[in-house]
Amino acid sequence: MQRYVCLACDYVYDPNEGDPDSGIEPGTPFEDIPDDWVCPVCGVSKDMFEPE
Amino acid sequence: MNPRKIRDNIWAVGTIDWDRRLFDELIPLPEGTSYNAYLLKTAEKTVLIDTVDPPVQDQLLHNLELLEVEQLDYLVSNHAEQDHSGGIPAVLERYPEARVVTNPKCREMLIDHLHIAEDRFEVRDNGESLDIGGWTLQFHTAPFVHWPETQFTWLVEEKILFTGDFLGSHLATSDLYIENEAEVYVGAKRYYAEIMMPFRKMFGKYLDLIDDLGPELIASTHGPLYRHPAFILDAYRDWISDEVKNEAVIAYLSMHDSTAEMVHHLINALIDRDIRVKVHNLTDVDVGELAIDLVDAATLVLASPTVLVGPHPSAAYAALIANALKPKTRFGAIVGSYGWGGKMVEQLTALTGNLKLEWLDPVMVKGKARAEDFASLEALAEAVAARHREAGIL
Repeated sequence: MQRYVCLACDYVYDPNEGDPDSGIEPGTPFEDIPDDWVCPVCGVSKDMFEPE
Repeated sequence: MNPRKIRDNIWAVGTIDWDRRLFDELIPLPEGTSYNAYLLKTAEKTVLIDTVDPPVQDQLLHNLELLEVEQLDYLVSNHAEQDHSGGIPAVLERYPEARVVTNPKCREMLIDHLHIAEDRFEVRDNGESLDIGGWTLQFHTAPFVHWPETQFTWLVEEKILFTGDFLGSHLATSDLYIENEAEVYVGAKRYYAEIMMPFRKMFGKYLDLIDDLGPELIASTHGPLYRHPAFILDAYRDWISDEVKNEAVIAYLSMHDSTAEMVHHLINALIDRDIRVKVHNLTDVDVGELAIDLVDAATLVLASPTVLVGPHPSAAYAALIANALKPKTRFGAIVGSYGWGGKMVEQLTALTGNLKLEWLDPVMVKGKARAEDFASLEALAEAVAARHREAGIL
């Protein structure tokens, strides 16, 4: 599955790991994450990510 | 600087730092800088937008006295960095009734960095407004111009946009507004290159927002104000685009001339192929000038002698900074010499992971260059030219 990188802080969302602290289970593709999710490191919105 | 009227009941009340020559203990300021703050007065409220660097905060307080500010209702903070927020504690002490208006993230950072009391705030998040009696301030959060909490303040009825650091320039001048666009262009480009460039991919949205608002005046926290916003907005559109130019930045240094001889041969070979060359000697590099040249260049060449197995520390420094600034450079090459061995190519490559360069073949020479080494440098110049032609810029 495609990994996505945060344009502001370079945090990489890996679908295999998800973001459990924000309620995103491992195995969740980026496209399926709710639009109000934010980067867990720097807090910018989901639309500031691009494919790695 | 004494208070200067912008419009009826709107003044610039900040300070000009004529002598400052270094920022962040890193960035040279050849033309000084200013810390811009603005005062608004309506029949009902008096509002200060941002403060100044703490060492000069008395000038701001003096300016407020000159304008006979007896009571301050609101202090808007567009940015928590201390050259703009650092005067907040002193202003709050002088005006105990004042409330700090900002977004939640900025509030958190002002508490962290300045220990502002948690109950001094009036929080306004993205899209929210503050009625100041006859005028409306509308707030637009704009993360990463250049910190996570940065925001713009839009004075709706006067069509003035207070953009914080965004669109600013480090320039100490007696001009309140731009009188000489050429002079400001370089200062604004330096500022963009040193501070804003890492986040350039996020700026398209902000420029679109500004276009939609249609300001008559843009007031940043550094440098002269823009009465013709198109000037700076067009410049930013150019700088943030993915378009690169037919330029090669050569960042090099040499200890006993072996590397320098190779670099000069390469420079000539590039010029012979009609490629523009921007040369920086890293012995005493001005990182601002280097950053400016990284804004547009298609190619970066790092050249260094080998020192204690790796690159000369000054070359590593340049690589580290270039990596942090994340310019749009597409092609890279490493050139150097060594006496007995080393891992310079590996170490410089490892330091520049953010740049995502297409690396051309390095030219590393044992000792002083010979005919076959100059031939390799010619081949490198030819490879750069080929890439520039493929990119449609040569």
